Amino acid sequence: MRKMVELTGSKALLEALKAEGVKHIFGIPGGAMIPVYDALYDEREIHHILMRHEQGAAHAADGYARALGKQGVCMATSGPGATNLTTGVLNAYMDSSPVVAITGQVSSSMLGTDAFQEADMLSVMLPITKHNFIVHRTEDVPRTVRLAFKIAIDGRPGPVHIDLPKDVQVGKADFKMPVKINYPKAAKLEPDAEQVRKAIGLLTRAEQPLIFAGGGVIWSGASAELVALAELLDAPVVTSLLGKGAIPEDHPLALGMLGMHGRMAANLAVTECDLLLGVGVRFDDRVTGDLRYFAPKAKIIHVDIDPVEVGKIVRVDVPVVGDAKKALAAMVKGLRGQAKRRRPSEWLKRVQKYRKDFAPRMDYDEVPIKPQRVIKELMGVLDENAIITTEVGQCEMWAAHYFNVRRPRHFISSGGLGTMGFGFPASLGVKVARPECDVLDVAGDGSFLMNSQELATAVENKINVVVCILDNRYLGMVKQWQDLFFKKRRSAVDLGKTPDFAKLAKAYGAWGDRVTRPSELAPKLREALRCGKPAVLDVVIDPDEQCLPMVPAGGRLDQMLT
Amino acid sequence: MKTRIFSVLCENVPGVMMRISRVFTRRQINLDSITVGIEPSGLARIILLFKADDRMAEFMHRVLVRLIPIVNVEVLDPKQSIVREVALLKTHRLDDEGILRVLGEIDRIGGRVLELKENALVAEIYGTHERIEETIKGLGPDVLKEVARSGQVFISREMGPK
Repeated sequence: MRKMVELTGSKALLEALKAEGVKHIFGIPGGAMIPVYDALYDEREIHHILMRHEQGAAHAADGYARALGKQGVCMATSGPGATNLTTGVLNAYMDSSPVVAITGQVSSSMLGTDAFQEADMLSVMLPITKHNFIVHRTEDVPRTVRLAFKIAIDGRPGPVHIDLPKDVQVGKADFKMPVKINYPKAAKLEPDAEQVRKAIGLLTRAEQPLIFAGGGVIWSGASAELVALAELLDAPVVTSLLGKGAIPEDHPLALGMLGMHGRMAANLAVTECDLLLGVGVRFDDRVTGDLRYFAPKAKIIHVDIDPVEVGKIVRVDVPVVGDAKKALAAMVKGLRGQAKRRRPSEWLKRVQKYRKDFAPRMDYDEVPIKPQRVIKELMGVLDENAIITTEVGQCEMWAAHYFNVRRPRHFISSGGLGTMGFGFPASLGVKVARPECDVLDVAGDGSFLMNSQELATAVENKINVVVCILDNRYLGMVKQWQDLFFKKRRSAVDLGKTPDFAKLAKAYGAWGDRVTRPSELAPKLREALRCGKPAVLDVVIDPDEQCLPMVPAGGRLDQMLT
Repeated sequence: MKTRIFSVLCENVPGVMMRISRVFTRRQINLDSITVGIEPSGLARIILLFKADDRMAEFMHRVLVRLIPIVNVEVLDPKQSIVREVALLKTHRLDDEGILRVLGEIDRIGGRVLELKENALVAEIYGTHERIEETIKGLGPDVLKEVARSGQVFISREMGPK
């Protein structure tokens, strides 16, 4: 039943957010946002989590969105509050995450006058969002919110920004709630039957098929269909960074991540396959390396909901535009009906041999601790329901390379943008979204320090996540490139001895400890998980350990440095 | 590289031009001509000319269609379209012989003289881009003081189903 009510723009914003099912907002107030925060003062259904930096708010909303598969909301004031959001918003854009960012803006009459804390956010947010709005009339608030939420989640998800001038927040108008919108841009979900038929034809004839699954499989909830198709074809599966968890990585057909820091078996399989079925992927340069040698023998089928991605990077033999779940289900259905399928047993044997021969080694006992050993202990201590976030750099690639993720939405990392400082605030968003899960941020010391102020947020709001720092006191990935490609000239990568991370954690009222021996890892991780507080475990690792194997930028996938 | 013509139908709201132009800027494509007009429906019709190979043209089409305020992007084939450009020309003050020569030229190409005072004139000429180019080049900077050009507008000859 739609009814007419008179509300301020601020109250209308909250009512509109509640109509979208919003329960949590990550944000920081400020001058141009006080009317909205004043309305929040009386709000009981929406829980606002006060962050300590707006970048953290955007990453938390991003983590929340990825963990739940729905829109995450962050809020900030005008000017510096809004510009501080931008890194997190772009991160969400690059990784197709439905973040809705709402910012205050100076009053309409002052727009364009260089007013205090004015930033032209329509222009700033425009190239880093799926779409963005500035609301000029109070009566447009609910409609804009509804549109923003629809755009953020429809088809290929992405962030949407709403800029709210102060006069729009305080203005009053009559609203008909809930609002109805017309959205003619809705993505086409159903794949073209003829394209699916062609894809099935190629899959049937392939002798060495390989499936490459990405974040699109996770967003479309297509894991069951992916596994069914792989098993039906006996086709091994490789994943992108954002596709980790699309198939359980301990599944006999799962070869793990491919690309620059992928597993050797995955990269060899891509190089040798005669058919590559890419699903919900965008063939990032960190995945393909030198395009001339990427899947050189393969015909390529590319399934994606965003037609812009199809054919953007690699030549595609059969494009299939549509929802991954629907496309994979149609392929499974089509193949089940075919009596004579070729069983690619020789191929599977060869791939399984690669899988065995190049199995990642993790059983190091050395002191200082090897990061591989840390990941091994994490896999032992964390249950299947735990969710991993990562910072960015070596720590991320160690986690991505070694950690076997078993469920979709249980490995959350910054892919396209490679945003240092992502993992910790993202882990807070994840924990708020999924309080029943253990949440652990695999961190590097450099990356963690970029948003470590959110320890205050974690402690004050009792968001009990664990940060496991792979502490090598370097900006490790840059150091690695300098060692490998710049004659070991380590320029501006030494982070020195400070801070003491255990003490830093304690200063915030969190649990903190430091380990230096492999045998201490499992007990200390268990203690951190059960301490009843946010926890920081500082693991002193071998500072000279490289993240290997590795394909140099623009190199060939089958020629990894080891 | 071939010249491409996109006829873009989009919402008539502030910022649309920026949304469109930046996707070209980002791929280092220069827009050779942009014209905007409002359709009877209230939507804006933007006609874009640029040079790109087949693959990039196809890609840019998809990128534009993806933008939320864009309703439709029609790719026009120059051979199947009607094209017009309008130019307004203002001359320097010329001697008698000079102004007579310009008047003759305007008349020859079917232009119209809109102002004529003390041996200087303003005229309008229209036609294809090439014809406008030729005329302007033919008269040259010694004759022409100022030129204002509309950019090229295209419309398909296709009438749709009966």
